[in-house]
Amino acid sequence: MSPNSTLYKGKTGQWAFVLHRISGFLILMFILLHVVDIATVNFPSVYDAIHRLYGNVVLRLFEVGLLFGLLYHSLNGLRVVMIDFFPGSIKNEKPVFYAIFSLTLLLTVVGGVIILRPFFTGSIH
Amino acid sequence: MSLRERSFASGGGFGVPGGRSKQNFETWSWFFMRISGLVLFFLALIHFSITHIFNDVTTTTVSFVAKRWANPLWRVFDWLLLALGLLHGNNGLRFIMDDYIRSPRRRAFTKAFVYSLSLALFVVGTVTIVTFKGLVAG
Repeated sequence: MSPNSTLYKGKTGQWAFVLHRISGFLILMFILLHVVDIATVNFPSVYDAIHRLYGNVVLRLFEVGLLFGLLYHSLNGLRVVMIDFFPGSIKNEKPVFYAIFSLTLLLTVVGGVIILRPFFTGSIH
Repeated sequence: MSLRERSFASGGGFGVPGGRSKQNFETWSWFFMRISGLVLFFLALIHFSITHIFNDVTTTTVSFVAKRWANPLWRVFDWLLLALGLLHGNNGLRFIMDDYIRSPRRRAFTKAFVYSLSLALFVVGTVTIVTFKGLVAG
């Protein structure tokens, strides 16, 4: 991609935008699936079987991925709102991006350890 | 509409230098994304924390849902998350479809499919939240 072919010219804002778009798309796909799994709540055996399946280590890894996407999209969304509603803050755009990305990684690791704990302690396989 | 066109069309005078205050659909779309985004920031992260951090996912059984939804405020919370999540998500997907699907026919067809599916799932989700009676004895 040539530097002049896009609005953001390949700087941090470009990557912030690309990650925002991908995370937003994947979160919407999860919401559509999630509506279906919750709809089985009137069939308790099906609902509980699905949620036991969500306890599987592979699906727990997906949940950690979902947490990363949610945190990134939420925090970067705040950054976008800040830039749009308070235009003067645009000069701080780059450090704010690094800050929200670091916070995303930190909280994903903390949440990830909690989500994957049953795997580490050996109570699931 | 390309990203470049939209970034100006949605400028609408809200803090964009030189942006004109012409309030068309894209202006309201732009404003809606920011306001719904701020609300979803809290709704989505609280929801995820309850169902994956403060409780293990395997304990979120039907009886867990029954206890939570015994309080109608949690049903309102979950319904707001459903409605705003789908609206915010579909509007975001609209930008994506506008940017990447170049053929007008394919774009119209894809949009019709996406919006129909989302509307159907909105109805399914709303019916689920409203009609759930709790755990039936036995």
